[in-house]
Amino acid sequence: MGKPERLNILVVGVGGQGLITMSNTLARAALLDGTKALVAETHGLSQRGGSVEVHVRLGDVYAPLIPEGGADVIVALELIEAARAANNLKNNGTIVANDRIIRPAVPNVEVPEREELLEYLKQFTKTIYLVDAYDIASKVGSTLSQNMVVLGTLMGTGLLEGFVSIKAVEKIISTLRRAELNLEAFRRGLTDFQRI
Amino acid sequence: MASKHKLLAPSGTTRLLMGNEAIARGAIEAGVGFVAGYPGTPSTEIIETLATVAKDLGIHVEWSTNEKVALEAVYGAQLTGVRSMATMKHVGLNVAADPFMTLAYTGVIGGTVVVSADDPNMWSSQNEQDNRYFGLKAYVPVFEPSEPGEAKELVKLAFQFSEEVGHPVLFRSTTRISHVRGPVVFGETPKNITNKGVFKKHPERFTVIPAHARKLRGELIERWETIKEKIPKLEPFNRIENPGHKTAILASGLAYAYTKESLRMLGIENKVTLVKIATPVPVPEEQILQAAENAEKILIVEELEPVVEMQVKNLLYNVDKTIEIHGKDYVPLIGELTLNKVLNGVARIVDLKFSVPSKRFSNTTIKLPPRPPAMCPGCPHRGTFYSLRRAVNKARVKPVYSGDIGCYSLGVLPPFREQDTIIEMGGSIGLANGFAHTLEKQVPIAIIGDSTFFHSGVTGLINAVYNSAPQLIIVLDNRVTAMTGEQPNPGTGINAVGDPAPLIKIEDIAKAVGVEYVDVFDPFEIKDGTDAMYKALKYVLENKKPALVIAKRACALEIDRVAKRKGVETPMYQVISEKCTACGVCYNAFTCPAIMVEEDGKAVIDESLCTGCGVCAEVCPFDAIVKTRDGDPEWYELWNI
Ligand SMILES: Cc1ncc(C[n+]2csc(CCOP(=O)(O)OP(=O)(O)O)c2C)c(N)n1
Repeated sequence: MGKPERLNILVVGVGGQGLITMSNTLARAALLDGTKALVAETHGLSQRGGSVEVHVRLGDVYAPLIPEGGADVIVALELIEAARAANNLKNNGTIVANDRIIRPAVPNVEVPEREELLEYLKQFTKTIYLVDAYDIASKVGSTLSQNMVVLGTLMGTGLLEGFVSIKAVEKIISTLRRAELNLEAFRRGLTDFQRI
Repeated sequence: MASKHKLLAPSGTTRLLMGNEAIARGAIEAGVGFVAGYPGTPSTEIIETLATVAKDLGIHVEWSTNEKVALEAVYGAQLTGVRSMATMKHVGLNVAADPFMTLAYTGVIGGTVVVSADDPNMWSSQNEQDNRYFGLKAYVPVFEPSEPGEAKELVKLAFQFSEEVGHPVLFRSTTRISHVRGPVVFGETPKNITNKGVFKKHPERFTVIPAHARKLRGELIERWETIKEKIPKLEPFNRIENPGHKTAILASGLAYAYTKESLRMLGIENKVTLVKIATPVPVPEEQILQAAENAEKILIVEELEPVVEMQVKNLLYNVDKTIEIHGKDYVPLIGELTLNKVLNGVARIVDLKFSVPSKRFSNTTIKLPPRPPAMCPGCPHRGTFYSLRRAVNKARVKPVYSGDIGCYSLGVLPPFREQDTIIEMGGSIGLANGFAHTLEKQVPIAIIGDSTFFHSGVTGLINAVYNSAPQLIIVLDNRVTAMTGEQPNPGTGINAVGDPAPLIKIEDIAKAVGVEYVDVFDPFEIKDGTDAMYKALKYVLENKKPALVIAKRACALEIDRVAKRKGVETPMYQVISEKCTACGVCYNAFTCPAIMVEEDGKAVIDESLCTGCGVCAEVCPFDAIVKTRDGDPEWYELWNI
């Protein structure tokens, strides 16, 4: 099987987790490697702790949005959001998720168990990668770099081969603020994950 | 600094730019000299971006008090020959509609572009009005790009076109142009830009008294004919691809991107004639007639309203052409376009069996908690809503919360539910001006933000005094326009480009227009805030006059960002587990997102989210939340800007 013409990456999480920085880093790296990239974000209201979705499309793409049910990869910075987005995953798609649950700030909210969420995700694909980005990022020096850990894991899975190289991503990260720390977080993410 | 370099990269550079940044770059390449606007998603970043380079380039960039003021400023600037641009979100053009309509009558001297960023699907808006209709209504041509890269080129063209025909151009973006990032190729920037000019008097043209306006109306219609002739020549933005096929698809703006990809996915790119439209008003008649010549069927793909469809049907009727035309019957009217919707329509017009992807079903379901946007940790609005509820209870009144648009709109959600109406900017005091005279047993409480007050609350307030409309007005003054990303406003003390500016105090305005009861409180102090609003309510009930109180505290998002950047240490709070009774007041009634719940129901503070505001310590009935570290003195100063 040859390289697909386009790759649809749906990035989900909670407002404030750095989804947009992560998605832009990926897209800028793609451009460095000569791959066309489009990133669509929905912000405004959703900045404030709400669910956030960013569509990253690579390759032969014109439309800014991934079709419903057309995501090749779901990258989740939080597990409830991974579950919310899961029905957009293609058959045999891949989920890359931060192994973390963030309680919505809603009165008397019932939060599902981690196991329950993982079981649910498994219905959509056999290929799920988990990374404890919170823990890794804390050890590296700032929980704010969780997004870079997860980006590392996405690159570590090899899914983006032919679209974006690890080298290009590292090059872009080194132009960001707190580059050292973010690079370290990214590199840890490349290998410190597990497939479940 | 980084953003500055980004927009000023040399000609030939390819950059990943957001649509709004691309529009900003296009305006720079066109030599714009004057830019004014009012924030509003998804338009805001155009001015935010330009503001970072304004001083280097000599462009005047401002946040005006509202869209009408912005467009009027642009009106004046272009009359001196300076290329000018106004930016706003779609509903902003409703506010600016009055000068907009007349702009078409007088025409323009300097190239004039009005950017309207529409919001199909209402991601951050109260409606999804299609502002291309404004073009039809006002006789103003509408330019609509298909992607960020084209947006840059098209803005540049819009300025040239506007100046050439002496007429304004309405540049219509949407959320999926403005907030999409894609590759943009930089072009040349002019060596010198014109930012000063001369006003040449011409009262027959610029004073629209009826006698002059009647003549101008005739000239407008003449100019419109010229514009219609020039529009098809705007190639390659308007163009025909693969002419001669039996099926023709006309796609306007962003719809072109969806249509193009659909055709490729279906493998029929070479079997269909595609007309790409960048000017939905007026439509490029030449290309459309050419496509219709051999076509047996036409599909029109456009987002929201059938603006192109109506014109095309009209055009073909006028040339006696009978042909099968589909538009809104094949591609939905409501909501934004998706590939799924367009694939469906395109497959249907070519009679292709194609299983359009759709969301998948799962065997088991799971109950996922909703995650609506919430007020940030440390948001002063939370304290105000918490105290207001207490004040209302204490005064034993039945409130009607006349709400408004801003971060405080989130007060509509539980547990607060303290927004009973939210209509449009300024509507809080506006509607309360009616409630005040017709309610018998309920009391109107108008709740409005500082930016919204300057935008359109002031006129309503003057009306409340003049027409004696008893109401409690609460101004949530967080010192910035927070909802759209913390832009400065007349109460902030700085302007769009970061220079110090006169700070206009809302309490001074209220007193000056004759409000006799004016008070200011700190929303971080629950007891003081409750007292302040209780007393003001009593005043309204007893004196039958309006009272205005101001909850003054800077936006937490802003302070937290500055504190982090400067490395200023914030205070730290902790829940003493032994004292916590798991009552839930802090996480269920106060709902700070930084407060988490343990399995036994006890509260715990997430230090990575806590801003150190300390209000939770005040609301805890059991004194179980204590300060474990004090903040730097500088931290306290930051809040008092
Ligand atoms: C006519 C119009 N222009 C712009 C907007 C976009 N908008 C929504 S809320 C808001 C300002 C809110 O600022 P403020 O009143 O200070 O409240 P805050 O968000 O700071 O609490 C703006 C500009 C709009 N909805 N309508």
